[in-house]
Amino acid sequence: MSCPNPIDAADLADYWLGALAGREEEAVEEHLLGCDPCGARLRDTIALAEGVRKLARGGSLRMVVSDAFLKRAAEEGLRVREYAPPPGGSVQCTVTAEDDILIGRLAANLNAARRVDLCICDDRGIEQLRLADIPFHSAAESVAFQQPITDAKAAPSETLIARLVAFDDSGRERLLGEYTFNHTRTLPGPGAR
Amino acid sequence: MAVALNDAELVRQIGSGTGRQAEAELCRRMAPRIRLYGLRHLRDEHAAEDLTQQVLITAIEALRAGRLREPEKLASFVLGTCRMTVLDLRRNAQRKERLLEQFGADLLSPAQPSEPCLDHDRLARCVQSLKERERAVIVMTFYDEQTGADVAGFLGVSEANVRVIRHRAIHQLRDCMGVAA
Repeated sequence: MSCPNPIDAADLADYWLGALAGREEEAVEEHLLGCDPCGARLRDTIALAEGVRKLARGGSLRMVVSDAFLKRAAEEGLRVREYAPPPGGSVQCTVTAEDDILIGRLAANLNAARRVDLCICDDRGIEQLRLADIPFHSAAESVAFQQPITDAKAAPSETLIARLVAFDDSGRERLLGEYTFNHTRTLPGPGAR
Repeated sequence: MAVALNDAELVRQIGSGTGRQAEAELCRRMAPRIRLYGLRHLRDEHAAEDLTQQVLITAIEALRAGRLREPEKLASFVLGTCRMTVLDLRRNAQRKERLLEQFGADLLSPAQPSEPCLDHDRLARCVQSLKERERAVIVMTFYDEQTGADVAGFLGVSEANVRVIRHRAIHQLRDCMGVAA
């Protein structure tokens, strides 16, 4: 059975989030009360939403996060471990079995930046991964970068260099800061020294 | 082969007083829809089940008594009943909260949400494959259920822009997960 006039999946997500205006919500609800195919698609959307929630709680995503995210995680009882090396500096770091979320706090002046990339480099400074066009607010004084906690727990002792680079209007790249994380593995298992 | 009754025929049969099968069909048809409404508004599996039962009882009583004047408007009627019942449940919930404060919150343990049937490894790959801003919007939206101003503030864009990014990301996620559009 299919619906001749299906509700767009993104609108269903907005409905689930309570982000629709009154009349739009009313129309969606009336439709859903008479349409099983769209109801099934809403269930898919709810499953996706719950899945993303689980991933976020698991600290397993490599991404830039907001302070509101970290506040919420702490309120939920998650253990957030945060390291904040100064620009051009380094920090000794580790993770324990009890940690849920691992954050590198990268201080930088983001004022004039149009776009900012975060580059993850090895101990020789060779770029291994680039998070292009990360979310940031020009008034913010730092970027909170989440490293997947499962990777960190499994990693051997190693050095990781993070670089923030900004692009101006002409597309020129400019280094905002370089941050060195000297990770010491303290958990037992393969990779421990 | 049995032909499914349309909503109006269901209403008429129930109103005639000889519609036990029609009542069963009404419950089969409407229960999952009411439950979804309950999940959306009550955010709790058990509360959604309670809502479903109460709405069905109220609806069948009203249909038996012939109180629905336009039988083809069954969906609207059920929706109205859902809204009224949710208001009642919320009032009861407030009463319950007051009692819990009085007698101790550990009397009841919180309900556990049901596990979504999803390939979580695949979802992780799909979320990770989104662009940075899309991933941020999706995670902030679904983890913290933030929809507008906070996400816009974090990204330094307008709320309308956040909506566009969210919609694009949801479509990409569904595509990546192999869910029909």
